[in-house]
Amino acid sequence: MSIVDFISQFAPEVILTIAALAVMIIGLGLGTKEKRALGYLAAISLIVATLIIVFRGTYHLQLEGIMADSLTIDPMSQFFKLTFLLVSLIVVIASLKQYDNHSNQDEYYTLILLGTIGMMVVASAIDIVTMFIGFELASLSTYALAGFNKKDPSSMEAAIKYFIVGALSSTLLLFGLSYLYGLSGGLTNIGEIADYFSMNPGIIQSPMGIMAMVLIVAGFGFKMALVPFHMWAPDTYQGSPTVISALLAAGSKKMAFVAAFRVLLIAMIAIKVDIAMVFIILAILTMTLGNVVALSQKSLKRMLAYSSVAQAGYISMVFVVMSPEAMTGAVLYVMSHAFMKTGAFIAVAALGYMLLRENISAKDVDHLDNFAGLGKRSPFLAFSIMIFLFALAGIPPTAGFVSKFILFYSVLKGGFVFLVIIAILNSALSLYYYARVVKYMYVLPPSSSEKLALPGAYSLAILLALIGVLAIGIVPEPFVNWAASAANVLGL
Amino acid sequence: MLPVSYYLIVSAIVFCIGIYGVMTLRSGIMIMMCVELMLNAANINLIAFASHFNQVNGHVFVLFSIALAAAEAAIGFAILMSIFRSKENVNIDNINILRW
Repeated sequence: MSIVDFISQFAPEVILTIAALAVMIIGLGLGTKEKRALGYLAAISLIVATLIIVFRGTYHLQLEGIMADSLTIDPMSQFFKLTFLLVSLIVVIASLKQYDNHSNQDEYYTLILLGTIGMMVVASAIDIVTMFIGFELASLSTYALAGFNKKDPSSMEAAIKYFIVGALSSTLLLFGLSYLYGLSGGLTNIGEIADYFSMNPGIIQSPMGIMAMVLIVAGFGFKMALVPFHMWAPDTYQGSPTVISALLAAGSKKMAFVAAFRVLLIAMIAIKVDIAMVFIILAILTMTLGNVVALSQKSLKRMLAYSSVAQAGYISMVFVVMSPEAMTGAVLYVMSHAFMKTGAFIAVAALGYMLLRENISAKDVDHLDNFAGLGKRSPFLAFSIMIFLFALAGIPPTAGFVSKFILFYSVLKGGFVFLVIIAILNSALSLYYYARVVKYMYVLPPSSSEKLALPGAYSLAILLALIGVLAIGIVPEPFVNWAASAANVLGL
Repeated sequence: MLPVSYYLIVSAIVFCIGIYGVMTLRSGIMIMMCVELMLNAANINLIAFASHFNQVNGHVFVLFSIALAAAEAAIGFAILMSIFRSKENVNIDNINILRW
């Protein structure tokens, strides 16, 4: 395979890499005002990359040559790349307003682009080395982004908590992968490791194999924020700049899911029974704790963070069932949740921006009281928040309903009735705290009758997320088909 | 040549020291050093396996992971520097605005 073929096959990644470096280098010579153009450059590169992915669709390409063992282009990777690109695009568009007077905005866009590239590499990786490098590229960029508001102590606290836990989880993952490498006799390709283990099932059931599995599950569990590895998530999502919380919840968390889909489902297929029990416990704990703690949250960002923990619990039911239908549901859920969560966080960021513009010393702009009477003060914002929250709760005709339906139904078909009952009870519980926000917005009187003017960049970002949520909810067929062909790749 | 199990025992001990340090130490810098210790334990494993199986891909993995560890340390110290500027220390017990 020549270098030209490689560039054309990985055109989205190449475009983003060039754009990231260009933003960084051009930014060196510009003043704060001129740097605004760099945000548009980043957005354009993301749009181009997204269009390439969309037009290529669900094709499956057999790569040749040096990269054939480490990267793949299949419906699964394309689906996740599309998710990551759209999330980054929405985040970048929202940031155009948020950071238009920041003197380091060039670094901000570079980090977002590099993080997106890392996530896309993980989506394509079929080799543990490539996967780990992509994982770290995305993690390192997001550590820096979480602490981007250097003057804000809570942003720094979010960054250091995210960094320590993230670095710890990377080492756990690497240690687990090193055992996996040794057990498989020196293989790094995930498919080859799976073949080796299915021919020698005894190896992975040895103490070392179980240790490797525990470490890998813990490593991914930290990134996916499964209970009991979730403690960093609420703090980080609450403290980070709100647009970055969107990227963390919708981007870097989903990256852990695609990596776990490939590694856990393929390489661990030999020990199906043991892993199911582990994930039944993790899934039940995660969804229950996430929803119960979210009930008492007054900060909307923290509430969304706990709801994100709970949603990770729903998605991780796929590791229990491991059927093609469950996989379809989980893959679709990842994309739906990405849109819903990005939209919700961006909407909270927009309100925070408007409140801070009114009163520069405002504290706790994401507090629930600030949402009182929002339906009168900013009808579009209130309406979109309502749609996002109802989608998170799983009410039709939104993306949340379709994906929840497919996932829960497949778990039921897999014979885990008690798991579905717990998941549905949890969904009902979650409606309480989502509906409470809607009550604040539409029933309670506003604190001031003044209208809030939503900046255009935020409106566009929220509109994009809204279109995503409603498109999956109203016309689910193309998305379900794509998710189904993505699930087929794993060969369950 | 020593059997591979000796290296694995060393790396397991190093890994446990690292994880103990992360859980008990209170200084941000010491925690980062313990994380590096854990990464190096994984690197010892990879190198031991790679030379045991006479394969080069483990060595390559280690080179990448060392580079990543350096990048990680750079970002970690940058975050700790910002915290030090505002709080005059890097004791993680003092980092407690966000809770529940």
